Amino acid sequence: MRDQISKYTGKLLADRSACADGIAFAAQDDALITAGAPELAALAGATLSRLNSLALVAARPTLPFADFLVARAGQGEECIVPQDTETRTFLHDIPFLRRKDLSGDAAPVLARLLGNRKGVIVEGVGIVAVGAITVEQAFINYSSVFHSTFVKYLQDVLVEGFRLPGEEEAFDSFRREWLRPLSASGLDFVEALSLEKEAILAEIERVGRYTVERGLVDSFFGNISAVAGERIYISQTAASLDELKGCIDPVPADNSSTTGITASSELLAHRKIYEQTGARVILHGHPKFSVVMSMLCDKKKDCAIKDCWKDCPHVRDLGGTPVVAGEIGAGGLAKRVPPVIGASGSAIVYGHGVFTLGRAGFGETFRAMVDVENFCREEYFRQLDITKA
Amino acid sequence: MFGWTGKLLHVDLTRGTCERREIPTEILHAYLGGRGLGVRLMRDYFRLGPFEPDLPLIFAVGPLCGTSSPTAARLSCVSRSPLTGTIYDCSAGGRFAWRLKAAGLDALFITGKSPAPVFLSIDPAGDHLHPAQSLWGKGVKETVAALGQYGSVTTIGPAGENGVLFANIMMGEGNSIGRGGLGAVMGAKGLKAITAQGDGVTGVADKERFDAARGDVMRLFRASPVIFGELGIAEYGTPALVDLMAQRRMAPTENFRSTFFADSGNYSGPAIRKECGARKEGCYGCPIQCKKASAAGEPLPEYETVNHFGALNGISDLHAIVKANSLCNELGLDTISAAATLSAFGEARGRFPDAAEVATLLADIAYRHDQGELLSLGSRRMAEVLGKPELSMSVKSLELPAYDPRGAYGMALAYVTSNRGGCHLRAYPISHEILRKPVPTDRFSFSGKARIIKIAEDVNAAVDSLVACKFAFFGATLEEYGELLSAVTGVEYGPESLKGIGERIYLTERFYNCGNGFDRSHDTLPRRFFEEAGSAGEGIDVHPIDRARFDEELQKYYRIRGLDEDGRFGDRNLLDELP
Ligand SMILES: [Zn+2]
Ligand SMILES: [Zn+2]
Repeated sequence: MRDQISKYTGKLLADRSACADGIAFAAQDDALITAGAPELAALAGATLSRLNSLALVAARPTLPFADFLVARAGQGEECIVPQDTETRTFLHDIPFLRRKDLSGDAAPVLARLLGNRKGVIVEGVGIVAVGAITVEQAFINYSSVFHSTFVKYLQDVLVEGFRLPGEEEAFDSFRREWLRPLSASGLDFVEALSLEKEAILAEIERVGRYTVERGLVDSFFGNISAVAGERIYISQTAASLDELKGCIDPVPADNSSTTGITASSELLAHRKIYEQTGARVILHGHPKFSVVMSMLCDKKKDCAIKDCWKDCPHVRDLGGTPVVAGEIGAGGLAKRVPPVIGASGSAIVYGHGVFTLGRAGFGETFRAMVDVENFCREEYFRQLDITKA
Repeated sequence: MFGWTGKLLHVDLTRGTCERREIPTEILHAYLGGRGLGVRLMRDYFRLGPFEPDLPLIFAVGPLCGTSSPTAARLSCVSRSPLTGTIYDCSAGGRFAWRLKAAGLDALFITGKSPAPVFLSIDPAGDHLHPAQSLWGKGVKETVAALGQYGSVTTIGPAGENGVLFANIMMGEGNSIGRGGLGAVMGAKGLKAITAQGDGVTGVADKERFDAARGDVMRLFRASPVIFGELGIAEYGTPALVDLMAQRRMAPTENFRSTFFADSGNYSGPAIRKECGARKEGCYGCPIQCKKASAAGEPLPEYETVNHFGALNGISDLHAIVKANSLCNELGLDTISAAATLSAFGEARGRFPDAAEVATLLADIAYRHDQGELLSLGSRRMAEVLGKPELSMSVKSLELPAYDPRGAYGMALAYVTSNRGGCHLRAYPISHEILRKPVPTDRFSFSGKARIIKIAEDVNAAVDSLVACKFAFFGATLEEYGELLSAVTGVEYGPESLKGIGERIYLTERFYNCGNGFDRSHDTLPRRFFEEAGSAGEGIDVHPIDRARFDEELQKYYRIRGLDEDGRFGDRNLLDELP
C-alpha cells in the first residue's frame, strides 16, 4: 500500500489540487500505516482507525475555496451542496467542520461525518476523504470534493460577490497565478487515425494523458473513444484518463458480445454520437469553467422546471457550443447530446462536462475542448468583471 | 412503528400451532431484518443438527420490504445447512416476500416436524396448517397452481421431500432459495408449501426524505454500466458475464480443469436473447428486472447455471442447458450444486455427462434413484465415497460457482472466509476485481484483499438484512440505502453504522460455525487451485495460486476480524457482548 500512497501523493501534486507540504494518507490492512505531513498524518490515522474502510487522505488544497465556502455558509448550516453532477450523483453533499468547533481531538467527530459521506471539509485544515476499499478511491473522493468546491465557489462568487476579508485578494491570485493558459500547442496528434487496433489504442492512451497533463480535466472523470469499422474502442468505467493502458474495451457495434459491460457509463452516448454524426473519435471530460457556465441560466427565475439537470428541454448556447441537460448513462444525456453535437463538433451537458468529436483524429477533439473551456473561462471573468463594476 | 411490523409468526409443526408474537424493538434496530434477524433468532438453536425437528427454519423480510425502495421486495431464509453444516441464509426476491410483509409479519419461525405433510397459509384473518398429502410428490409448477387461491406460494419440489442435500425452496414466480439445501430442511419437517396474502402497508416515517433517497438510488442505477448499461444485466441478465469471463480466462470448465470454454458464445447474453427470444422479467418491485424468460414465459438460466451446465460439463447446446435449468426448477434442485456435482462425477469416472444423460441424472437425484442416491449428497460426499475427494470443487462442501479463484485472488479468499461455504455473494469481489465497481482492484494481487473482503462481507451482511439485492450495489452504496432506511424507519442509519451491524451478523455466524467445530482447516480451497494453472490466452496467464501468499492473507483476515490464528474466538464468548 506504500507504493499506492506515493503514487497518489504524486497525482495530488501533479494536478495541483493539494499543497506539497500538506498531504497525508492513512491506510489499513491488518495494521494501520500513515504517511506524509506529520500533523495531518496523525489526524488521518486516528480517523481511519475508527472507520470500517481501507484508506483516507487528508490534504490542504492549493486553493482556499473550500474554507471560503465554509466561512460563507449560514450559521446553522452543516454542509454545502454543490450543484455539479459529481456531487449530485456521488457525493450528495459535503459536510464541514468549522474551526471554532475543532477543540481537542478532531478524529472522533471527523470519523462520525465520514461514516456517512465520502469527503469532508475541515476549516483551516483541508479536505479529508475516505476510500472504502482502495487508496485510489480516497484520492478520487478528494478530487471530487476539490472539483465540486471549485465549481460551487466560482458560481457563488459570480452571484453573490466577495464577502470575506482577504477573499478578493485570494481570488485575484487564483486568477493570475494558479490558473494557467490552456492550449493544445506543442502536442502531437495522429491527424488521420488509422483503422488498426494497436494504433488506435496507443493514440487513445496518449490523448488521455494529454488531457490530464494540460490540466484540462481531472484524471478520473471523463471518457474517450474511437470507432473503427464495426468496433468502438472506449475507455473503461472507473478508468483514469492518464492511465488507460489495458483499460480500453473493444465493443462490437452490433452488441454481439457483452465483454464491453466494463466500458464507460457513457458508451451509449458515444455510440449514438457515432451513429448520428459520422465522427471518428470522441472526447469527454469535466473542465471546470464549462461546468460552472453550463449552470448559468438566465431563465431560472421564471422557469417552471426545477430539476434542470434532468428535465430542461432547452438547447442553450455558450459561444456557439450547444448546452443541453441529461444525466449520466441511461439518464438522458445519450438522448440529448447526439442531435446537437454534429454541427459545432462540441456540446456541453448541464452541470456535468463537455463532449467534443473529431472527424479524422483526436487533434480536433482536443483543440475543441480547449476552445470551449477557454471561452467559458473568459466569459466567466467577463461576467464577473461586469458584476463587480 | 415505521418500517417494521414488529411481529413474528411462530409455527410449531409438531403441535400444529400458529401463533403471532412480538419481536423486541431493540432486536429489530440492532439486526434490521432478513439475514440479520434470522441469524439472531438462531441463537438458542445453532447447535441442532439440520434434520433435528427443533431446528428452526426462518423466513425474514426487512424494513424496506413493502415500500417502493428499489430491489427490496426480498426475504432471507435462515437455518442450518444439511449440505455444509454451517449456519445458512439465502436471499430471494419475489412477490412472496412482499405478501409476507403485507400479511403483517417481519418473520416466520417454523419449528417441529409434522406427522403428516402439511402446507401453511398465512393471512391476517388467520394463519393455518392444512393437510398436504395430495400435494406431496408433486412438482413445483403443479403445487404453485394448486395453491394459487391462497396467495403467493413458496414450495419445495420432490428434491426437498426426498432430502437431497442441495434441494431448493422455490418461489411461485421462479425465484429460488438456493444453494445450501434448505429445501431438505423444509421437507424433513413435513412442510410442503407456504402461502401468504395480505394487504398491509409498510409505513414510511418521512415520505419526502424517502423520495429524495429513492431518486438518488435510481440515478446511480442509471449511471451504472453493469446495471442499466446497454450491455448490462437489465438488458441481458447475468449471462452478460459469459463473454467477459471467457475473455478474462476465468470461466470454470470441465470441473475446473481449465478456465476457458471455446463454445461459451453459444450461451452468452446476446446468444440467449437471439435463440430464446429472452424478455425482461424479474423480482417483484425491482426496477432492474435482470431475470429473463423465454417468449413462452419459461425462466431462462442465470450466468452460474449456463456456465455450470455448459462449460463445467463440456456441453455447448444452449437448449440442453435451458432444459436442465427448467428441470432443476421443477424438481426443486440447486442448479450450481447439481451441475457441479455432475461435473465432479464426470471427472471421477472419466466422462462428463452429455445433454441427455444430464436430464436423466437430475431426475434420479431428485428421487434419489439409482446413481442419484449418491449424487444427491453433493460433490464432497460423493467424491469421498468414490475415493477421489480432491475432485470435489467445493469449500465447506458447497460447490463453487462460476468464477475461477485463480483468476481473481479476492474471490479466492472470499470463498474460504464465507460463513456458508464456497459462495461468491458473501463479499462479491467480482464487483471490483472484474466489473470495476466502485473502483477497480488488481485481480492477480492479494494486496489489501483481506481488509477489502472483510469490509465487503460486513456491507453485504447489512444488505442481506435490509433486505436489498446485491446487484443494486453495482450502482448505489450504503450511503443511499442508509438514507432510505432512515427515511422509512425514522431511526438514523448511515453506511458506518450499517457496516457495524453487518460485522455483528458476520461474527455471530462465524461464532456459530466455530461452535459446531469449524476452524482454519475448513477455510481452504481444493488442491487443484494451488497446483494447476488455468487456461492462458489473449495475453493473460492464469497461474496456480501461491499457497504461502494465500495463507498469509488469510492470517491477516483473521487478525482484522479479531480471531486467533486458528480462525476461532479463543475464550471470548461473543454472544454475551451482543444484543
Ligand atoms: Zn462525465
Ligand atoms: Zn431551464
